[in-house]
Amino acid sequence: MNPSDLIPVADNLTAHWGWFQFLLMLTFPLHLFAMNALLGAGMIAFVSHLLPGRVHHELSDELAKALPFLVAFTVNLGVAPLLFVNVIYGHLLYSSTVLMGLFWLAVIPILIIAYYMAYIYDFNFKKLGNLAMFVLMGVLALLLLVGFIFSNNMTMMINPSTWIRWFSTPGGTLLNLADPVLLPRYIHIITGSLAVGGLFTAVYAATVLKHDFEVSEAGQRLGMRLFTWLTLLQFVIGTWFLLTLPQEVMKRFMGGDALSTALLAIGILLAVATLVTGYQRRVMISLWLTLPLVYLMSFLRDSVRTGYLTPYFDMTKVPVDAQWSPLLFFLVTLVLGIVVIVWMVSKLPAFKRSN
Amino acid sequence: MNYPVWYVPSFGGGLLIALVAIVHVFVSHFAVGGGLYLVLTERKAIREQDASIMAFVKRHTKFFMLLTMVFGGLTGVAIWFVISLIHPAATSLLIHTFVFGWATEWVFFLVEIVALFIYFYTFGKMDDRTHQIIGWIYFGAAWFSLFLINGIIGFMLTPGAWITNNNFWSGFFNPTFWPSLFFRSFMSFMLAGCYGFLTATFIGDETARHRMIRYSGIWALSSLALSLPAGWWYLSVLPLQAGRLVSGASPTISNAVMVGAFSMAALAGLLITLILLNPGARTRGLIVIVMIAAMGYMGAFEWTREAARRPFVVNEVMYSNSILKKEVERINREGFLKNAKWVKHKEINADNQIEAGKELFLHQCFACHTLKGFNNDIFVRTRNMSYNAMRKYLATIHEKRYFMPPFAGNESELKALAAYLTNGLHNKPLTENAGTGDDRGKTLFEENCAACHSAEELKPKMAGWSREKVRGALDRLPALNPAMSDYTAPPADKDAMTVYLFGLNNPGTAAPGVDKGATLYDENCSSCHSMDQLKPKMKGWSLEKIRSSLDSLPALNPSMPDYNGTSEEKDAMADYMSRQTGGAK
Repeated sequence: MNPSDLIPVADNLTAHWGWFQFLLMLTFPLHLFAMNALLGAGMIAFVSHLLPGRVHHELSDELAKALPFLVAFTVNLGVAPLLFVNVIYGHLLYSSTVLMGLFWLAVIPILIIAYYMAYIYDFNFKKLGNLAMFVLMGVLALLLLVGFIFSNNMTMMINPSTWIRWFSTPGGTLLNLADPVLLPRYIHIITGSLAVGGLFTAVYAATVLKHDFEVSEAGQRLGMRLFTWLTLLQFVIGTWFLLTLPQEVMKRFMGGDALSTALLAIGILLAVATLVTGYQRRVMISLWLTLPLVYLMSFLRDSVRTGYLTPYFDMTKVPVDAQWSPLLFFLVTLVLGIVVIVWMVSKLPAFKRSN
Repeated sequence: MNYPVWYVPSFGGGLLIALVAIVHVFVSHFAVGGGLYLVLTERKAIREQDASIMAFVKRHTKFFMLLTMVFGGLTGVAIWFVISLIHPAATSLLIHTFVFGWATEWVFFLVEIVALFIYFYTFGKMDDRTHQIIGWIYFGAAWFSLFLINGIIGFMLTPGAWITNNNFWSGFFNPTFWPSLFFRSFMSFMLAGCYGFLTATFIGDETARHRMIRYSGIWALSSLALSLPAGWWYLSVLPLQAGRLVSGASPTISNAVMVGAFSMAALAGLLITLILLNPGARTRGLIVIVMIAAMGYMGAFEWTREAARRPFVVNEVMYSNSILKKEVERINREGFLKNAKWVKHKEINADNQIEAGKELFLHQCFACHTLKGFNNDIFVRTRNMSYNAMRKYLATIHEKRYFMPPFAGNESELKALAAYLTNGLHNKPLTENAGTGDDRGKTLFEENCAACHSAEELKPKMAGWSREKVRGALDRLPALNPAMSDYTAPPADKDAMTVYLFGLNNPGTAAPGVDKGATLYDENCSSCHSMDQLKPKMKGWSLEKIRSSLDSLPALNPSMPDYNGTSEEKDAMADYMSRQTGGAK
């Protein structure tokens, strides 16, 4: 059976595909920022548990307070890109979702448990004593599991040749484990997330926690160390990932596709630059270099997807029945929403004090 | 047919959707009404300068945040996950049609989260006025979320003018939009009162506790009262077919409505008792019952809304099995399997008929029917039917029972599905056109027995057997000889074969009319009623009573369709039923 025969017909779009691609590329890195901060803060808090002294204990406690916020924003900021992925690639995503239905559904209870555990860790930090570390370990393990389930779906949806397994196993119990790209891809994104998360933790320590000099210092030191070492490691893992990609996809980054090659080159240069600033513990400059780097990496990720799907699907060919007023309605609401959020945040006592 | 099917035979996806949806609406409506409750209760505390009420509001906010933001938020995502898994085609339709509606809802979701975090963490650390404004922003964003989701959910039941113009706003402001919005808003305020009840019982100070219990009770009771006319308005704008279903044509729906009504009455009664008779008691147990009743009310409403659009997932647009209404004619002409993506057998032949039939079952029936599961079990529902009866039933299934989608496919596909449902599941014989005439029993004998037994060989063995003995033997063939397998045909076929076998030793006893009534019964009634079920119900009925009932079946039970056979056919069927039930002449 030809895998192309299985690919469902995509529904018509209600705006030019460029809008959805733009919104996807705009919002996905926002989800990554929140997710990276969550994993990074969790990891630093965990490492702090293993280190002795009041300062490290305080640091864990301070980071514990941030975790529930970060879970909430990771989920919320994940909704928007998932929506736009549904619009462009829904017919592929739903197919692979059915193949791994049981695992996909498991994401929800796992997240609910992780979320409540994050609150338990935060609200009962002192009461829990040494147990706190294990609660946090549980949160991190569950979150990494969610990431692994997502990696499976995201790699399976772009690989229709694996779909034929449904005919013998239709119960939603399939994963994409046989794909040699899965593991390097997953490790690549987790390493990147922890690195960026380490940097965010350092930024958090340098700004919000600056009232306690020692805690702030410890946070910056641990965060920047995690950031630098993992970024260095990423050169090895990234290369491994690149080399396991199918030939025709890999070639896109080796001159086959000018834009992808250029983006990769800029990405590597930026990463080298962050290594230098990270090593020098220059927190804010590292941040300003890393934010565009995360955007770049998500563009590269998109290019991988396009490479995989070239024989199967071209989003520019999907018919469009444009309706402008709903798009306008969304954009106006988005602007108003951002204005309201900025106003609310400006009213926070912490902000008032610093002004 | 466009997508694969998540196939766990004994487990129905529909039930999973219902469970997740009901749990979610119970929390998500609280997330809306609770916002108003918080901000107004806080205002009350500020105005009355009452520290105990303020402490209660703060504690209630923590409970509210932990419940609505974590559980409510994630079960909302869960609905999306579940429907994209179980109804991918419908999810795709909703996502594509309303993408910017969903995107706008996401903005409100984001505003809600920021507002709620700030509201909770700045209690006592912000001036009252700003804190109140943050609370109002939370409620506004939450209510607008409801506003948006309400439009999209209402679209599924009443797509209105969207069907012809495909316009976003026509689908969004659909015929049930406003009544449903009012109803849901009042429900959300009622739930806010209920949850307030619960947390108020934990207030230590007795006076404050009594006051807040009474306060929450008035909230819940007045919202409940207001939800009644909104609910009535909603029912009155339902489209004709959906309205019929809600008012009793489908047994499950009328049950759901009944449960809703009863729990609502129970809820109102309990609330009144609680507030007026015994405001001073610690009534936590009673409040849990109130909460369950509220859940019943809400759940019945959601269940009804889901069920009322049967056999569609988007009314008049897409059937529950993901087939578009406008495509059925083309599929009937060209064939289903040829047009389907996720099937192995594109053409049907003698070797793959059952396998192809199973694929048709998977793509056309499994959306609502489990296989040996606990929800709408297809195995139980098909066991009384013969292959022929199934074929005839499938051909007019939507006309006979409106809430079932029509079979979509060509003639050989229909036969393949019938073959799977009868032979594949129950090992029943695939006797094509056994006919209704005198030789039906003979044909059945030839198809099922002649491979091992000739009529000549059997005739002396059955000499002296009564008609009843022959008939009884067909029910337990292995008892005659363990080498024989069960004859699993429906009673009507066994009756026909009995006539033939008995006639071997008693020529001239075959009565042609006998078979006709049995066949008609098999084809028209057996899908829902086995004769064994009917016997006790019709005990003592006269032939005339049976005959006249066949003229007005809906009068017996609103969910039964009219039987539109000729007067002669009704006579034959009444005659057969009368004999089977031992009715008085």
